[in-house]
Amino acid sequence: MKMRRKTAALLLATLSLLSLGAATGMTPNGVHAGAVAPASGPAPVRRLTEAQYRRAIADIFGEDIKVVGRFEPDLRVDGLLAVGTSAISVSPAGLEQYDDIGRGVAEQATDAGHWDKLVGCPRDAHGAEALSCARRFFSQTGLKLFRRPLPAAEAERLARAAVAIGDQLKAFPQGVATTLAGMLASPQFLFRLELPEASGRLGGYTKASRLSFLLWNSAPDDALLEAAAAGSLDTPAGLRAQVERLMASPRLRDGVRAFFTDFLQLDEFETLSKDGLIYPAFSASIASLAREQTLRTLTDLLIDRNGDYRDIFTTRRIAMTRTLGPIYDVPVARDGWYIHEFPQGDPRVGLLTHAGLLALHSHPGRTSPTLRGKAMREILLCEKIPSPPANVNFAVVQDVNNASLKTTRQRLQAHLDDEECASCHKKTDPIGLGLEQFDGAGQFRTRERGELIDVSGSFDKKAFDGAGDLGQLFHDSAAASACLVNSVWRYANGRNPSAGDEDDIRALSAQFSGQGYRLTSLLRTIALDPAFYGTSTDVRIARTHEGKKEG
Amino acid sequence: MSRRRKQLPRFGRGLSAASLVAMAATLASAADAPTGGEPGVRAFVLSNIYMASSGDAGACPVLADGGIEEYFKSLPPEEQAKYSVAGKLGELEQGKRPALEQDMDRHFGFRRISPRNKSVVSGQAKLPPDFDPTAKPTAEMALRIGALNGFPKNRGRWAFSNQVIAYSACTDPLDFPQLGKHFRTYDGKVAPGIDLDGKTKRGDFSGLDGAKGVDNQLWRVMGCVRTFRENGDKEVVEKIFISARAPTLIEIRGIDDPRNDPEVTVNIYAASGSLVRNARGGALAGMTFDIDKDPALRATTRGRIVDGVLTTDPVDIRLNYKEQIIDAPRQILGARIRATLKPDGGIDGAFFGYYSLASYWDSIEQMTQNGANLTSVSCPGVYRALHRFADGYRDPRTGRYTAISSAYGFTGVRAFVANAPAEFASRRGQ
Repeated sequence: MKMRRKTAALLLATLSLLSLGAATGMTPNGVHAGAVAPASGPAPVRRLTEAQYRRAIADIFGEDIKVVGRFEPDLRVDGLLAVGTSAISVSPAGLEQYDDIGRGVAEQATDAGHWDKLVGCPRDAHGAEALSCARRFFSQTGLKLFRRPLPAAEAERLARAAVAIGDQLKAFPQGVATTLAGMLASPQFLFRLELPEASGRLGGYTKASRLSFLLWNSAPDDALLEAAAAGSLDTPAGLRAQVERLMASPRLRDGVRAFFTDFLQLDEFETLSKDGLIYPAFSASIASLAREQTLRTLTDLLIDRNGDYRDIFTTRRIAMTRTLGPIYDVPVARDGWYIHEFPQGDPRVGLLTHAGLLALHSHPGRTSPTLRGKAMREILLCEKIPSPPANVNFAVVQDVNNASLKTTRQRLQAHLDDEECASCHKKTDPIGLGLEQFDGAGQFRTRERGELIDVSGSFDKKAFDGAGDLGQLFHDSAAASACLVNSVWRYANGRNPSAGDEDDIRALSAQFSGQGYRLTSLLRTIALDPAFYGTSTDVRIARTHEGKKEG
Repeated sequence: MSRRRKQLPRFGRGLSAASLVAMAATLASAADAPTGGEPGVRAFVLSNIYMASSGDAGACPVLADGGIEEYFKSLPPEEQAKYSVAGKLGELEQGKRPALEQDMDRHFGFRRISPRNKSVVSGQAKLPPDFDPTAKPTAEMALRIGALNGFPKNRGRWAFSNQVIAYSACTDPLDFPQLGKHFRTYDGKVAPGIDLDGKTKRGDFSGLDGAKGVDNQLWRVMGCVRTFRENGDKEVVEKIFISARAPTLIEIRGIDDPRNDPEVTVNIYAASGSLVRNARGGALAGMTFDIDKDPALRATTRGRIVDGVLTTDPVDIRLNYKEQIIDAPRQILGARIRATLKPDGGIDGAFFGYYSLASYWDSIEQMTQNGANLTSVSCPGVYRALHRFADGYRDPRTGRYTAISSAYGFTGVRAFVANAPAEFASRRGQ
């Protein structure tokens, strides 16, 4: 704490060295990515998500560095946080939070336990030795933090600042820590700056970042930075080599998990809670495990087995752990995570019956076919469902003790008698009611207040009876597959498509289908597509280049 | 039973015939257990096992004195006054119990050594040179340490989960008969239980449902001890988990019809894991438990279900009983279960059988004198009555009974049993 007070003023001085406002859309009130990048246009500036920030710190400084603090919330735009990253600002309060978190990281990275590994020279170095040491450290660390090499002059400025602060505080490590903290609060770290080079094309380092954040959800590693430095990412063969390397890495799992966390809005689990009197089996730890369950189930199917994406709706395989057993009402004989396989005919089948998602799209004390249907429409089919008007009377729907309307279906039907409500509810409720055999905590049931639950309905003019049938219809839905492609594209590019992108996305969909709906194939196609790496000019040049090479 | 059609899984009502056929095919394959678990099997984890109480039907007019109350009453008036409520001679002031207990310890020469931290109530304990604090405690070592530290000859027993070596009215009740002088046994006519011996004889009770010939002499012994009476209260039973860190499992296999089945197999196991609480503070239903590795903590018997009530044939059982400082497995001989299978998947019922005197006394002794004082139990009183009213499993050599008829209620929630030995997992009612 003492160090923090003393260095506050010095940190401000350091921040000025980092040219905060130079090319990043910084305003007097903070930094605004959207000032440069609207959500539907090119996205040259994207704020790191909390997960990306944490991953980058772990990669650069070590897994044992604790990232402590509350991040400014990410922003979901049209269903994706990734799209929000290019439209979000850092408020003054948010910058303070980043500063606080960054100082905590810097203190740990330069403490006695990490100094030798991360900095390397004597802690009591001074004069020329300290300057040389700082120059080397900031040059190496700057490359990883800013995802581009620091010009010699920039590294020199930082090194001199560190030594000067160290002299003033009579502690070289504090000088390094203060300067490092400044780098961690710099827009060059907090934002992915994907600005074209003087030639108008994206540089190798920007390509490396795009690739790495897409496939690993983290900053580029040494090998990728080296490839960028060597210019090999500008050649199809060089790019392919790196794409294949990243795809073959276990870290691809991190990237896929990050995508589905965003796509399925799994961040909402952090605030998921249930009424303990109504759902005593549900707890905060169950919510956390349920989120992990969905991610593990998806990576099992889509990475480990390289399966068909559509099978997420019909697979009987699900990641399971003993603590989740009571929610699923299944015996769990093994310790740790494993893949549980429900038998044919079991009511649990596919993503739609994951307890976590069922609970997430319910109220704290009751189910909500409307919320479930809305989530299915908006998330899995990329449709837009309008919010209800402010003056809706929910009294009947919420009256779970209604003597004559015992089931949710009956109460919703009464609600639908209002024509204004019916226009939206007819989209959401029929499919939501198909999941009514799962209560608000995602537990299976056959009756509601003694009444047998009717789970029949229709989707896309096709009849279904229960979650299994409904999952099959989602499996067969062209809209569901197209939604996935569209979402991966938007996730990769950090923006909504513009008119000129529609053809590319259609082509991606066709390829996705032709390649057996493999997510890995889709990611590879995007990662290898010149369109992913830049401006339209850049794309044309790259495609021409690629065509010549392959021709 | 196998000739009758197997019961559909619990969720079967909502499934089509085709899917059931497909499911049946898969059940024979490598798929894991379906929602609801293995068909024909129901299991429970018991959240509480308690001495069943006669309740209001068998009220105890005067409660038994504990050892410390006996001591208090034995003091001359001027001494009693020191521990009495001001102006109410003879009424023990609760805040003065610790001082009274210290006085009692000094008076009777009670001793207590914690050899593992080399301390004694006053001063350092003397320990034999070959004493290994990590070794399994033996009775012989307790006697040797007792002798080294001035215990009476041949006195000194492990207590308090084998953490201390003690000499007191709970380790050696026969040395302190005066502390059981006002111990009261239950003389009512009604007690929970069943007719274990098939005879209606003098001393038998009427059951809570009016049945005759009920054998439950343990209730006669303990029925006027406040703590034990209270443990059987409905509210206490529902709120207090006894032995939560080592619960008991009951598994019924081979169920064709959960309401009526003339032949099922009933397995009783000790769980290796702890009970888990739900958000309401009750036992979490649907957890999976591994069974304890000790084969002595497993038993199997045959049973039947009539109108949703399970009854079993007699079987010798050993139930884990680990609660706070007590680790004293309950050995109940010729135990029968009678239990209601609840619609919510839970179970309420009782073990009826002959509790071995050795294992029952073990649970009392492990309370230690301090625990007995806190709960107003007289160890000498219990010991004497226990042997006096023992009524089962006569030792042909000594002619004395070695067990006492009892009724232990239990309540439990639905659970799954995992990793049971093959011979248990495959058993069916035959």
